[in-house]
Amino acid sequence: MDRNMKILVVDDFSTMRRIIKNLLKELGFTNIEEADDGQTALPLLRKGNFDFLITDWNMPGMTGIDLLRAVRAEENLAKLPVLMVTAEAKREQIIFAAQEGVNGYIVKPFNGATLKGKIEKIFERVES
Amino acid sequence: MSEKPQEFEPLVDREKRLADARALVDAIENEDNGREAALIGELTAAYSGNIFDEVGRMTREVHDTLRSFAEDQRLGALTEEEMPDARDRLRYVITLTEQAATRTLSITEEATPIAEQIVDRSQRLKDELAKVAASEADNPRLAGVVDSMSRYLDSTSRRSEQLKAQLTEVMMAQEFQDLSGQLLMRVIDLLEQLENKLVSLLQITAPVGGGNTASKQSERVEDGVGPQLPTAGDSVVKNQDDVDDLLESLGF
Repeated sequence: MDRNMKILVVDDFSTMRRIIKNLLKELGFTNIEEADDGQTALPLLRKGNFDFLITDWNMPGMTGIDLLRAVRAEENLAKLPVLMVTAEAKREQIIFAAQEGVNGYIVKPFNGATLKGKIEKIFERVES
Repeated sequence: MSEKPQEFEPLVDREKRLADARALVDAIENEDNGREAALIGELTAAYSGNIFDEVGRMTREVHDTLRSFAEDQRLGALTEEEMPDARDRLRYVITLTEQAATRTLSITEEATPIAEQIVDRSQRLKDELAKVAASEADNPRLAGVVDSMSRYLDSTSRRSEQLKAQLTEVMMAQEFQDLSGQLLMRVIDLLEQLENKLVSLLQITAPVGGGNTASKQSERVEDGVGPQLPTAGDSVVKNQDDVDDLLESLGF
């Protein structure tokens, strides 16, 4: 796994963006950008050469699930690994996200070890 | 004591009812069919008259209640001031928790590098001391000092690592702001809907114009339904292990 990979963190709560960013830094990732919903994230993704997307689900403007769909629908972004970190905890939602092509799903509240584990798992699969 | 609901209690005088009943028994015993039919008719009329009276009374009550509902100054104040005010207060709680969380995050972000520096410098100092001790191998007093200093630097280093881990925990605890904020926003939304419903009810009972009658569309999981409470049922995962099990069952 490349610690220099470019990561986009999308969440409407700045507190959560900051927490995820700090956790990523502790894991050795430094190339991190932020967006506060799908609408601001998508243009960044289109021109930004991102290697990894971490997104919340429930956001005003454009939700994380719509962002996931938009990403999977675009040729240049379709293969981007996407990790959802969200408070949405209904079983049908997790199944739904899986069907839409999410690579990992973390339910808030979570911890640094979970984030690390999921990221490692995602990139093991992507790289194999 | 009678357990019968109040609405079945006849308003006809007890003496009259007893007299009517005795007369009815008397008529039946004497096989006076004409009198029996007349008495039953009388009794029924008295009771059903009572029902119509009751319905009339209830209708008037509903009407009066609706009127007083529309004229109630409290309701106007409730929809115009108190409910919007309650929403503002909840929004303010979100702002306050956000400020507190942001402040805590800033402090942990400043403190973490300090703990890292202590680890780093302790290690470097220990290495330098080791070099000095090696070049002055024939000096037992120096060796003793270097040894105790090294041990001190080791423990400083370990404790700073602990401090760093604890600072991470403090940072993670600020996650509450996101979750509580999301829950509060849903309560604010609910208040807004309730307010709209009240306004439209007021409009029906006493049309005063204006107001929004928007009603809630049913919850769509696609839009996100927010954090679930710990008391939620089986349709909700309880923890990350549940999520992992579910995804695994889907071939993840």
